[in-house]
Amino acid sequence: MSETSLPVALINYIGLSAVLFFIGVAGVIVRRNPLIMLMSIELMWNAANLLFLAFARVWVNNAGHIFAFLVITVAAAEAAIGLAIVVVAFRRAKYVDVDEAALMKG
Amino acid sequence: MGVEGAYPLLIALWLLPMASAIALWAFGPQLRTAAGPIGAGIVGVCFALALFSWPDAVQRAHGALGAHLTLFSWGSGFDFGLLWDPLSLTWTLIITGVGFLIITYAIGYMEGDGAYARFFAYMTFFIFAMLTLVLSDNFVGLLVGWGGVGLASFFLIGFYIDRKTAVAAARKAFVINVVGDVGLMFAILVIVTQVGSTTYAETFARLGQFSNTALVLACVGIFIGCAAKSAQVPLHSWLPDAMEGPTPVSALIHAATMVTAGVYLIARCWPMWNASPDARDLAGSIGGLTALMGAILGCAQWDIKRILAYSTMSQIGYMVMGVGVGAYDAGVLHFLTHAFFKAQLFLGAGLVIHALANEQDVRKMGGLRTKMPFAFWAMLVGVLAICGIPPFSGFFSKDAVIYGALEHGHPYLYAIGVLTAAITAYYMFRLILVTFFGTYRGEVDPSDLGIRHPELAGMPPHAAPQAHHSHQPGPIMNVPVAILMIPTTAFGWLAIGPDSPWERFFGQLFAGGTHVEKVPASIGEGLSTLIVLALVLVGIGLAYLRYGTSAAREHAVERLRTESVHMPPVLANAFYFDAAIDALFVRPAQALGRFMGRVVDPIVIDGAVREAAIVAVSLGNRFRMLQGGLVRGYALTIVVGVICVIAYYAVMGAGR
Repeated sequence: MSETSLPVALINYIGLSAVLFFIGVAGVIVRRNPLIMLMSIELMWNAANLLFLAFARVWVNNAGHIFAFLVITVAAAEAAIGLAIVVVAFRRAKYVDVDEAALMKG
Repeated sequence: MGVEGAYPLLIALWLLPMASAIALWAFGPQLRTAAGPIGAGIVGVCFALALFSWPDAVQRAHGALGAHLTLFSWGSGFDFGLLWDPLSLTWTLIITGVGFLIITYAIGYMEGDGAYARFFAYMTFFIFAMLTLVLSDNFVGLLVGWGGVGLASFFLIGFYIDRKTAVAAARKAFVINVVGDVGLMFAILVIVTQVGSTTYAETFARLGQFSNTALVLACVGIFIGCAAKSAQVPLHSWLPDAMEGPTPVSALIHAATMVTAGVYLIARCWPMWNASPDARDLAGSIGGLTALMGAILGCAQWDIKRILAYSTMSQIGYMVMGVGVGAYDAGVLHFLTHAFFKAQLFLGAGLVIHALANEQDVRKMGGLRTKMPFAFWAMLVGVLAICGIPPFSGFFSKDAVIYGALEHGHPYLYAIGVLTAAITAYYMFRLILVTFFGTYRGEVDPSDLGIRHPELAGMPPHAAPQAHHSHQPGPIMNVPVAILMIPTTAFGWLAIGPDSPWERFFGQLFAGGTHVEKVPASIGEGLSTLIVLALVLVGIGLAYLRYGTSAAREHAVERLRTESVHMPPVLANAFYFDAAIDALFVRPAQALGRFMGRVVDPIVIDGAVREAAIVAVSLGNRFRMLQGGLVRGYALTIVVGVICVIAYYAVMGAGR
């Protein structure tokens, strides 16, 4: 598998991706606003996408590009469903804090 | 031997009663009063078949074991077949012949009973089980019949299911019989380990293979079975209680046939008993003890059926004593004559009980000779036979048994036999004198007669509603009794002389048993007979002095009251056997049950279940912490999980 060079070294892409991903993780875990949590999840999707594209370029393999599109599609669907759930939950129970949505507590 | 000649008849004879039992049970409500005649008719047909197959059996019976027919095999060396020899023929004729008469009698006796068809279904089922017992050519078939008659007996003792005493008596009989079944089963297992087969022929042919211990164990196991079924001490106490059943049941099962199954078994296994003198001594002694004890207790009873029950026990004691000392043919002869005269006595008592609206207490009878002359004469013939007065049949067989004990070297058993004969004469004439002579005491206040609890003493509670339903028995009941009088009177004549028909019939069968180990008796048979007769007359005389003289008849009420009130407690409680069994087995079993119910069940069993639940709950409580309900908590769990997975592959290396 041949490799091409990138304008910036690959390690930087990986580092950026990791940083983005952990910002997303931290957002999901720490923040209690469902909208912010959804945004954090988007951040994680995009961290993954960034890696896909970087490696696709380095290894000249289009599968990575295709996967990035796939991820965007799924992320859009996820966002749509997630927002729908947030809206419905808000209408029924008037909460904006996910910790209050603890109906299934054991 | 192939299936030929009389064999199809034999199979029909064996299976017909079962077919009849199923039909009567299934279609009883439709058949109504036809059930009785159908049941009696089937058994009558069986009797005819048995008579028809008789010459064939005699012809084929060469050697110790007669003709036998293998029906099927259920494993290598384990065949099931029918055996047709003089011994099984004798029993078959009695079972079907006396059975036919008694079931015919029951058509009249059970008239108007709510469970008329059920009664005849049970009776024919009993006939089937008994035929299985005697016709089987192996121990397993015997055990099947053995259990079957126990079951039939259970059904019929508890026939009046609304009577608590009857149900308790049925349960008692069943439990004691199962004790015997276990003994018999144990004996069969011993036999299988020794010879690897269960047929009589194989077992007796290979007696040499038995070790001494095994032979004694097998004989003792068989004897436990006999003792339970034939009401021998100490397993006898179910028999008097079994009189809770209808009178025809008492006549057929608890006098004429089932209770003699033990005698059959010992006679059938005579080669084993011959080879084991210790076991024979045990059987002889127990038989003698039972004979004496039954006779003594017979003197202390007031219920007409219980008197007869104790006399049955006593007479079976004679039979077991006879076969136990080695006088097999005498024991079997006594079985035959006893089947006739005891059936006759019970059916005669049934006539009285039926006419007096189920009154069974002899203290409330009296003077029935003029009211019921037929019943009186029937009972008198039976009593003369059981007392052994010549020329009635009992004389010959009882004499043969008693003298057989002396002949085979058991002077103590001989003395017991003679003494028992005297006591038998006493209590049987007591029965006759109290019941049929004097004046009728039915209207006397029960307490004046010393009857403390009318319900317990005589009058069965179920009889109360039909107390006014008193009527004279019709010909359907009288004719069987009249027919039974013939063999009761004349049957013993078959055994007169050294070359009698009886001798020729059985001489071959017990050839090895009857002619060995006789010892020269100190007194001759004629003198012995005279001694027995003299003592019997003394017994009759004592009974007459006590109950028969004109003074005794005039003061009958006071005398009966005094006797009832001053009855020695040891006799009134039947030597405390029930109390002993109660204390030794029933109470400990109940205590064990209570212990199980109060301690083992709640603590061990319930405890285990509860402990399992507690463990499940506490585990659940631990795990429910994970279900915190916080979305962010779940997210954190996922992250931690992912980190763990990644760390695993980072450390171990992916794909390796």
